[in-house]
Amino acid sequence: MRTMRRALVSGGTKGLGLAIARALAAAGDEVVALYAADDDAARAAEAAAQADRLAYRAVRCDVASAAAVDALFAVEGERGFDVFVHAAGFTRDKLMLMMPERDFDDVVAVHLKGGFLVAKQALKAMIARKHGRVVFVVSPTAQLGRIGQTNYGAAKAGLIGLTRSLAREVARFRITVNCVCAGFVETAMTASLPEKARAELLAAIPLGRAGRAEEIAAATEWLCSDGAGYITGTVLGVDGGLT
Amino acid sequence: MNDLKKDIKELIIQSLNLGDVTPESIVDDAPLFQEGLGLDSIDALELAVAIERKYRVTIPDEAVGKKVFSSVSALAQYVSENRPPA
Repeated sequence: MRTMRRALVSGGTKGLGLAIARALAAAGDEVVALYAADDDAARAAEAAAQADRLAYRAVRCDVASAAAVDALFAVEGERGFDVFVHAAGFTRDKLMLMMPERDFDDVVAVHLKGGFLVAKQALKAMIARKHGRVVFVVSPTAQLGRIGQTNYGAAKAGLIGLTRSLAREVARFRITVNCVCAGFVETAMTASLPEKARAELLAAIPLGRAGRAEEIAAATEWLCSDGAGYITGTVLGVDGGLT
Repeated sequence: MNDLKKDIKELIIQSLNLGDVTPESIVDDAPLFQEGLGLDSIDALELAVAIERKYRVTIPDEAVGKKVFSSVSALAQYVSENRPPA
């Protein structure tokens, strides 16, 4: 059991982010989930959470925009957050020589810069409270590479670098900063993979199967728990042994 | 302004846990970091957060921080100039 905390989850209305948001809420947290554009998914996630009596609500916010993040914290910042999980993201896979500049910029903007912008605001209340948990969801692509994912891989590897340095900056305030390396999970984001790529991917996983969103969420929720207080600056692989 | 300086000194002591320092012993124009109180850049983070929460004044970047944290006087000046109207 733990005291009621406030948790912020970017990308928290779909896929992994939603599973993480629900796991935190199920563990007793009051969760605010951020989403970029899909109002229908947000309302559906709220309705499902309400039916399950979870403290969960969705707020629209473009995490790649400093102005939008500032506006969010002008409203939500007063009470602050104890936990921030950055799960927002999408892929725009192309071979690099065929990749428009925009596809690189957009992916880096949401994954990497979005993590920077939201964490920067969220840390203020954590520093004042001398306690906090920050988790960035990353991908095996950051460590292993993957054809077609130079933008995504660069952004996720960037988050790992950010994590290692930020962990040192805020350790004094008993704030931990970690990454969860989420392996292959069936979500809307991975549904677009060609069949051949999917088969290759599965064959490379030592545990021989895709992960479930709940498995990523359980590891993330644990990293956010009091019991994980001595872990900071690391990448926890939840990927069936892939990395 | 003198009241504000005293408040700020108390905030520094309280937020940075300087239990053995009294407000009177902090010199208005002495540097707060490195020499002076011997605070480091991570202490500055904590102080910036405390200032923002108490006075609603943001210290947006390191350049401003350097200027503002040069002394209690400079900090009080910055807070009084940038404070939102009550």
